[in-house]
Amino acid sequence: MTDAPASRIRPARRSPSDLTFEFDAASLDQLTDGEPAWLSADRRAAYERFVALPIETNQLYTTYVDLRTAVLDDVVPWSGSREIGLLPHGAAGPDPGTAGLAAFQDDHVETLALATAVSAAGVTLETLGGFIVDDAAEALVARPGSMPEDDRLAQLTRAGWSHGVILRIPAGVKVDQPIVIRWAVGTPDRALITRTIVELGDGAEATILEELVPSGQEVDGRPSLFTGTMEVTLGADAKLAVSSLQELPTTVVAFQHRTAVIGEGATLHWALAQLGSRLVRSRVDNRLEGDRSSVEQVEIVFGGADQVFDLTSYTRHLGRDTTGNLLSKGALMDKARSYMKGMIVIDRSAVGTDSFLGEFGMNLAKSTRSVAIPSLEIDQPDCRRAAHASSVGPIDETQLFYLESRGIPPDDARKFIVMGFLEPVVARVPVADAQVRLRVLLEDKWQVGSGTGGVAAA
Amino acid sequence: MTAAREIVTDQREQFAFHDDIAYLAETKRGLTRATVEEISAFKNEPDWMLQYRLRAYEHFLKRPLPTWTDGLDRINFDNIVYYRKPSEREEKSWDDVPDQIKATFERLGIPEAERKFLAGVGAQYDSEVVYHSVKEELSKLGVVFMGTDQALIEYPDLFRKHFGTVVPAEDNKFSALNAAVWSGGSFVYVPKGVEVPLPLQAYFRINGENTGQFERTLIVVDEGAKVHYIEGCTAPIYATESLHVAVVEVVALPGSKVRYTTIQNWSNDVYNLVTKRAHAYENSTVEWIDANTGSRKTVKFPAIYLRGEGATADIISVAVAGKGQHQDTGAKAVHLAPNTRSRIVSKSVSKDGGRATYRGQLKVSPGATNVVASVRCDALMMDDISRSDTYPYIDIQEDDTSMTHEATVGKVSADQVFYLMSRGLTENEATNLIVQGFLEVFTKELPMEYAIEFNRLVKLEMEGSLG
Repeated sequence: MTDAPASRIRPARRSPSDLTFEFDAASLDQLTDGEPAWLSADRRAAYERFVALPIETNQLYTTYVDLRTAVLDDVVPWSGSREIGLLPHGAAGPDPGTAGLAAFQDDHVETLALATAVSAAGVTLETLGGFIVDDAAEALVARPGSMPEDDRLAQLTRAGWSHGVILRIPAGVKVDQPIVIRWAVGTPDRALITRTIVELGDGAEATILEELVPSGQEVDGRPSLFTGTMEVTLGADAKLAVSSLQELPTTVVAFQHRTAVIGEGATLHWALAQLGSRLVRSRVDNRLEGDRSSVEQVEIVFGGADQVFDLTSYTRHLGRDTTGNLLSKGALMDKARSYMKGMIVIDRSAVGTDSFLGEFGMNLAKSTRSVAIPSLEIDQPDCRRAAHASSVGPIDETQLFYLESRGIPPDDARKFIVMGFLEPVVARVPVADAQVRLRVLLEDKWQVGSGTGGVAAA
Repeated sequence: MTAAREIVTDQREQFAFHDDIAYLAETKRGLTRATVEEISAFKNEPDWMLQYRLRAYEHFLKRPLPTWTDGLDRINFDNIVYYRKPSEREEKSWDDVPDQIKATFERLGIPEAERKFLAGVGAQYDSEVVYHSVKEELSKLGVVFMGTDQALIEYPDLFRKHFGTVVPAEDNKFSALNAAVWSGGSFVYVPKGVEVPLPLQAYFRINGENTGQFERTLIVVDEGAKVHYIEGCTAPIYATESLHVAVVEVVALPGSKVRYTTIQNWSNDVYNLVTKRAHAYENSTVEWIDANTGSRKTVKFPAIYLRGEGATADIISVAVAGKGQHQDTGAKAVHLAPNTRSRIVSKSVSKDGGRATYRGQLKVSPGATNVVASVRCDALMMDDISRSDTYPYIDIQEDDTSMTHEATVGKVSADQVFYLMSRGLTENEATNLIVQGFLEVFTKELPMEYAIEFNRLVKLEMEGSLG
């Protein structure tokens, strides 16, 4: 147990499905005070579900729940600090090469800015606290199904969110440069509960880079919680690419919920990189409602130490001739664990579906664990493709041999193969600086982890 | 059909190998502690078995119904007769057998005499004779092949050493139920180094208990020995109760080779809930060849625990789900030792609103280094009111495992049908041929006469002319 700090408090014996984070009626009352009535009602309904639901409702996955490393007994939500009102566009403006920036530093908004031209085209980027007074707010914020109703942690977020951001792109507007949404997290004993809502009108196009980064406040051995969403609705023929870079400190427990309703002919691309956090429990729900809609999703995990990545992906095909292409890849070092759970549902209405689900693991050390559950539920056989595949294996010896035969030292060769395995997501990061940073992070993690030949992490 | 093949009701008493145990007529409907005691008392069992049954009964009561599969709550446990004297079961008349099932026998071309046996209304005369000669040959080799009840009395030590070691009573709710009320089934012991030259068929061992509702089968194959065991039959088995809960345990000792073939074709009102598991020791090979076409609902995942270094597991699972049926089947391979390998192949066909579910587990435990494993599951859906699900679980806890998994779901391709029709086949014939080709991976592993019957069965299923 070289990686366990002596100061770590041993948690009391508890079930792997116990959630130690306390969110009670008093916390709820604090939030609803002074809010519009529809929002309070929405929070209360979510709270009821949060109280009633088990941590995992899907019988297929219940035995794989493990929240034991999420020690959140002393963690409390940021109270009374909900950002209010629309901030003036930040003096700093968006980063070069980007069209907008919403940056949060723990509990406060640091920057909220849009490039002038984008703003002039009708694009809006607001804090959710400011947006709730808008006439359109109820329809978007209290939209049923905006978060999975059977998910306890999603309902926790829906009941208890204190921070949020909403991005709206009007019909026909194409934003060329990426819009960055950054959450910096780490203050000990604090829970940052957030929502992100994204709406694209018919024919709109956008690229989003989500960054989950350390705030610099983190203290070893003192946990904090981050919960976040990305609730996407895409109008007809809209195009959205979302990249997410999760490099939170290892003191943070992260719960993530991403949902998308994809309209006729619309296209969504998820590229999700999971590197940080002590424990991540993430869920993506894609609904391909419109005919010819499509979703492509690539998720990578690069785990070390005793990190746990618990990732679920649901994709439901409803329209005709829809396409789903979902790929999860995990490379694990030390004692890291990953659970990649996937479900593709092809409804009877979904004629002509093309659906693929792949889950691939690379166990780089003996004490790692990869679990893959790629499931299919099919009611309509008239499809172009309905398939899934998975594999778990070590680094391919023939690839290693090839690289070594070209004069590359074994350690470098191993590193190249692992980096290549994770490349599909890295290549999709839309901002050059962020892409470079991700590569550096991956390489640093490789150096620290035991992937280089069984050397335990310091 | 000669006169010698005429059915004589309950002729079995005349044959020496019939279980020589006094049975009670039958227990009352429903399950209580007294039922369990009654069953044990009438079988004259040793006390340890009674205690075992009672422990299992208590566990059965405590254990909730599994909720990961649906429809099990429709089973009325109070309306089942848990034990019946075999001869009582035979006293039904051929006239009581539903016409549908009689017609199916006709179409499958089952000989007159066999039909009555299969329908549970009589013993088959010829196979008794066949069995006699088989039995002599086996005893020369030292092979034990008898009813499980009989083995408990005649081979108490061997029996106790292995019974319940592979599937503990507490394993699941239904293994607990079986452990509490089990009756009948086969016991096989193959001594060291013996290769049994012909498949052992449960079919030959006609003593009524064979088609029991709560049978218990235990197969122990000693070091270096080899055996192929076949149970079931292509014809629908007419069941007296709507619940069939069996446990099958296989112990494959070092260097042995076991193949276990099942063709399950219960009538369409039966809940068929079976726990089948094998322990494979050093360098042994275990093969499950498992087909499910009958029953209302089958829940069965043949499992192999690879306990010894160099062991091999091979599972072929086939399911055909027609109208009103749910085949919840699959396979499990659990790698516990280094250099073990496993292969799972699953094929399912769903039609007329049937539901075929593949549920499988592949697990590589810490310490099981250098494992090679593959899973392949394919599903064929004949129409859009049917359903096909795939739930594979893959859990790898070693860094040098080589595991691949693939699954596809599709329909019969119009191109293939068109090609065959252009060669003069009718659409129906073409579809049949394609389905048979799809299932061939299974069929080719069967002894010839079974393969022919199985293909005929599939053909009938496809025509929708089976009951």
